[in-house]
Amino acid sequence: MNKFWEIVRYEYTRHVFRKRFIFALLSLPLIILAIVLVIFFMSYFTSDRTPIGYVDHSGVLANPIQLPESTNIFDPLLQMIPFKSEEIAEKALQTDEIQTYFILPEDFEVNYSVPLIYYEQPGEKVHNQISQFVHQNLFAGEQIEFESRITEGTNFTLQSPSGEQEFQEEEWYNILVPFIIGGIFIIVVMTSGGYLLQAVVEEKENRTMEIVITSVSPMQLMAGKIIGNISVGLTQLIIWVAFGWLAFALGGQYIPFIANLHISTQYIVRCLLLMLPAFVTVAALMAAIGATMTESREAQQISGLFTIPVMMPYWFAIPLMVNPDGSVAIFLSYFPLSAPVALSLRMAFTPIPLWEYALNLTFLVAFAIFTIWLAGRAFRIGLLQYGKRISLSQLFRKEAHNE
Amino acid sequence: MASIEVRNISKRFGETQAVNGVSFEVRPGEIFGLLGPNGAGKTTTIRIILDIFKPDSGSVSILGGEMTEEKKNRIGYIPEERGLYQDIPLERCLQFLALLKGMTRLEADSSINNLLERFDLVQSRKKKVKELSKGMQQKAQLITALAHDPALIIIDEPFNALDPINTQMVKDLLSEQRDQGKTIVMCTHQMNQVEQLCDRLVLIDRGKVILHGTLEDIRKRFASNNILVRSLNKLPAAFPGVEAIEPYNGQYKMILKQDATPQSVLKNLVEEGIMLEEFEIAVPSLDEIFIKVVKNKGEENE
Repeated sequence: MNKFWEIVRYEYTRHVFRKRFIFALLSLPLIILAIVLVIFFMSYFTSDRTPIGYVDHSGVLANPIQLPESTNIFDPLLQMIPFKSEEIAEKALQTDEIQTYFILPEDFEVNYSVPLIYYEQPGEKVHNQISQFVHQNLFAGEQIEFESRITEGTNFTLQSPSGEQEFQEEEWYNILVPFIIGGIFIIVVMTSGGYLLQAVVEEKENRTMEIVITSVSPMQLMAGKIIGNISVGLTQLIIWVAFGWLAFALGGQYIPFIANLHISTQYIVRCLLLMLPAFVTVAALMAAIGATMTESREAQQISGLFTIPVMMPYWFAIPLMVNPDGSVAIFLSYFPLSAPVALSLRMAFTPIPLWEYALNLTFLVAFAIFTIWLAGRAFRIGLLQYGKRISLSQLFRKEAHNE
Repeated sequence: MASIEVRNISKRFGETQAVNGVSFEVRPGEIFGLLGPNGAGKTTTIRIILDIFKPDSGSVSILGGEMTEEKKNRIGYIPEERGLYQDIPLERCLQFLALLKGMTRLEADSSINNLLERFDLVQSRKKKVKELSKGMQQKAQLITALAHDPALIIIDEPFNALDPINTQMVKDLLSEQRDQGKTIVMCTHQMNQVEQLCDRLVLIDRGKVILHGTLEDIRKRFASNNILVRSLNKLPAAFPGVEAIEPYNGQYKMILKQDATPQSVLKNLVEEGIMLEEFEIAVPSLDEIFIKVVKNKGEENE
């Protein structure tokens, strides 16, 4: 058992404390951070903080109630300046004292038309603040929350008959979750799978197999390698999730949209549970490939093929979304390599009964165990065939264990 | 109890019969030579002993039974295909391989430190293995086989890529290990290198055992009635008790008659007043014995 942990430790530290790994680890969050910062500064500097003017002939804004202070730094509260007449407002507009002004005509409360005068078209946020300001004063004395509900329209909640699953239209961003989880899954599985592949092939290239195999059992060696390299991938995952969480926590303080995000923990847990066996499956398949190949370059090329089934659900994203219970969707969610992403996508668009989910998960776990067995076998057979490739039929032949 | 007992093992790879009914035993505390030309089946035999291959038939007992995971810790092995992790520092490579032999970190470090010093590799401990010379890698390989203080050491081709100085060092080291009570199996085709070292040996050719026993016994069996003489005088063409005299590597080889003994010939030489620089009973080298045996076998087969 100790030897197993030594192998895990060896495989783990060999990658994790390397510059290459740390670079790869930090590059994704840093790239995202850079993009976010660019967007942040773009919208910060492009947002115009010049006050808005208005001329009120209707009397609605005689004693104006100001909008509450905004917590959103991208949408700061703009000052509303009253003007006695259009001429004075026009002058203020010309001298850039205000960026635009609106007029509430005498008959405002009859036809609710508001002319907006500007030289440069103001952004959407200016429109929103003006209409909020006017609404607020128009409904002065009424329930404000109630008012916003009316203006935004109906929020449909789609619910499965059992109530087990629901989907709120307003929480549209939940659609992104399977895509993001799937994306992270692919990156992580490819990294650790690649490392594992390399680790097995190196054992051949370095000709250390004979020494190692006269020290530990092949199963110990393979299990140690698989767990060690998967841990590398999981480290990457945990650090990225930590970065994401940090970004959420920080972002939530400034951007109300993020603070209001509501993502189902149960859904995420279900997705992650699917990923674990799939993760082992891909890793073990990579190890098996590594054991049958003689050069890491060759093995690397072959391993690229694994990306295809894992990515497949993305190519079929539209049919999956339109018809999450169609035959394409069902097939992809049972095919072991595409299952995690496909099933996550389906779960986001349609209620999946618990039994089906459990069946899928069991199937994935069984397949993962099968692939570990296959990897151990490939290693045993490939052990001393330096410079020779193993054929697939050799892997399944009964007497193969003799060699 | 024998350290290794090989009982009638055979192994076939496709068309090739690599090992064909080989039997021998290795006794505790001896240096045992597993000898034979290239392709004789030595490495396959070793791999069967170490449970890397399963034999088609026959059985092997190692350290008193079947190979187990626990026994692996008591065996040091240097395969013919030398292997070290190339891309990591020497020290780390040695440490990892020692840990796989069930050592604790502390034990591994102290043992490796001693051996690094002994092999004059202390300066290179932080270097990556691939940056070391072939000879240094060879020495590092020896460390992997010795670090965990194994009871049984198996070395395939111990003198590959070693210069004369390091060859001598390895020979001394192996003798020293034997003196400490270790059992050593050496597997080589360089028979001249091991004849002074081996206590007992087995000679295999084309998968079959052709000789098995102590070096002394084998030599006696193949001893010819020959004498090697170096002399300042020119030897006479004929001499009592001698059938023929041939020049041999700057010496003379005297082939004795059936009834003559070296003692009587020496007596005659002295009486004749021949100035002797060297007088030696010709002992056949393993190479010579091997060639003789293989030739005879060939003739038998024809």
